[in-house]
Amino acid sequence: MDNYKGTIKYIGEIAKDTYKMGIISDLKQIKAGQFVSVLCPNKTLRRPFSASGFENGILSILFKLRGEGTEYLKNLKYGNNIDFLAPLGNGFDIKNKKSLLIGAGIGIAPMLFLKNELNKRNIENYLISGFKEVGEIVKGSDETIVGGSVLDNIENLIEKFKPEIIYSCGPSIVLKLVSELGIKKSIETQVALERVMACSIGVCRGCVIKLIKNNELTNASVCKDGPVFKGDEVVW
Amino acid sequence: MVKLETTLKNEKTSNSLTLKTPIIGASGTFGYNSEFVDFIDLNCFGAIATKGITLEKRPGNSGERIFEVQGGMINRIGLENVGIEAFVKEKMPYLLEHNIDFLLNIAGSSIEDYEKLAQIAQENNIKALEVNVSCPNVKQGCLEFGLNPESLFKLTQKIRQIYEGFLIVKLSPNTSDIKSLATATEQGGADCISAINTIRALGVKVDFIGNKFIKKSVQGGLSGSCIKPVALYMVSEIKRAVKIPVIAMGGISKLSDLFEFLSVGADAFEIGTANFIYPSICTSLARELNEFIEKNNFKNFEELKEQFKNE
Repeated sequence: MDNYKGTIKYIGEIAKDTYKMGIISDLKQIKAGQFVSVLCPNKTLRRPFSASGFENGILSILFKLRGEGTEYLKNLKYGNNIDFLAPLGNGFDIKNKKSLLIGAGIGIAPMLFLKNELNKRNIENYLISGFKEVGEIVKGSDETIVGGSVLDNIENLIEKFKPEIIYSCGPSIVLKLVSELGIKKSIETQVALERVMACSIGVCRGCVIKLIKNNELTNASVCKDGPVFKGDEVVW
Repeated sequence: MVKLETTLKNEKTSNSLTLKTPIIGASGTFGYNSEFVDFIDLNCFGAIATKGITLEKRPGNSGERIFEVQGGMINRIGLENVGIEAFVKEKMPYLLEHNIDFLLNIAGSSIEDYEKLAQIAQENNIKALEVNVSCPNVKQGCLEFGLNPESLFKLTQKIRQIYEGFLIVKLSPNTSDIKSLATATEQGGADCISAINTIRALGVKVDFIGNKFIKKSVQGGLSGSCIKPVALYMVSEIKRAVKIPVIAMGGISKLSDLFEFLSVGADAFEIGTANFIYPSICTSLARELNEFIEKNNFKNFEELKEQFKNE
């Protein structure tokens, strides 16, 4: 982890209230599932965002307007400076297995990065994403569900595609259902969680969740031990 | 940074603590201190206060632990920590090996807890203790130790009888009479006071979704720049009541904040919430302070501090 001063290479609204930002900096590497913590000078705390890609030294993030922090970011322009901590968290543990990727809402961001990585390694994959309405669709999936839940027809998809591993990112309720589905179908799941964070490097214990490991209940910080966890270990 | 060296001294007992700089990392913002070593310049730190350590391991609170507010944040971590035994065995060797000066921050739920913790600190030659007294006394109706002068006096005295190192008591601001508490601490035998701990607060957010109000709330301790005026007031009141040195904290993030606290009598500083936003803030503050001293021809930090005393 280091503190980087980057410059904005591009920024634009790619879907309703959803922005994509490209940042050039000295950052050398970041994995799919890892995140960055961006300084928003009008707010006390930094804002965490999953990397949605990293190509030619340009880090991309996606963000949805949620409040004053993202409102500040939205108004940044090409050439503006941006202060961020990166790379943070553990990232997905990529397996050479037929992969199903499930992205719900803005949770698609790390899924796009992961899909790209899987493609590079010639690992067969299928990305299904879900959005509340047509205007909110972020492109790049193999299948997109609008309205309803991204999981509405998931059992049929699993029957047809026969994944050996499922990766997912989105609201807790979706990740919980994905994890339960994995247990039911005996498929490994890796889920990327989102939490309000303060330090984003594991010291303040502000974003702690419970895990069950070897029948023992333990604490894990989403920012340092996660944000990616084995779905069957998370206590929802 | 030779110019920044400072000594906190209890004139009555001659107990003292020499710090490389007056900048101290506040408890809860540096974990057990080893996590940060790659990112900080240890020469800039007078010390780092450990996470609050209890007798037994604690899982902390469940549910949301952080709530952001204008100019600050509310936390309810609930003293999640590994417990004193694991700290001494697993965390302390690293600190000693890397020459990291630390204040062992301790918390208990009974006087006996604190006594045992003080005993362990004494046995392990821990140089400085920072006692968190903002904990409920489970045996006495869960009233905070730090809010009642008699119980605070008794607690300080008990720890003092066991622990011979530099004893710092961290005072809570959740009182209408900080002076009596400070006096009780001094009379109990503390060498130093650190203040202020977080301010009790309630963060509330109400959304109107689908014709319904949805309320989210987090009750905990408020920290960050918004509490600075309260901290300044408390430190100045404490200084009126006691002669022992005071480590000031509460919303410090700039060089001018250091001067403001010096002007009300602070002897050293702890930096808390600002570390979350700028992980290198302590390093920058120490360097800026050093530059200021050089540029303005002060001999050292001690001389700069004297100037405020003569005002």
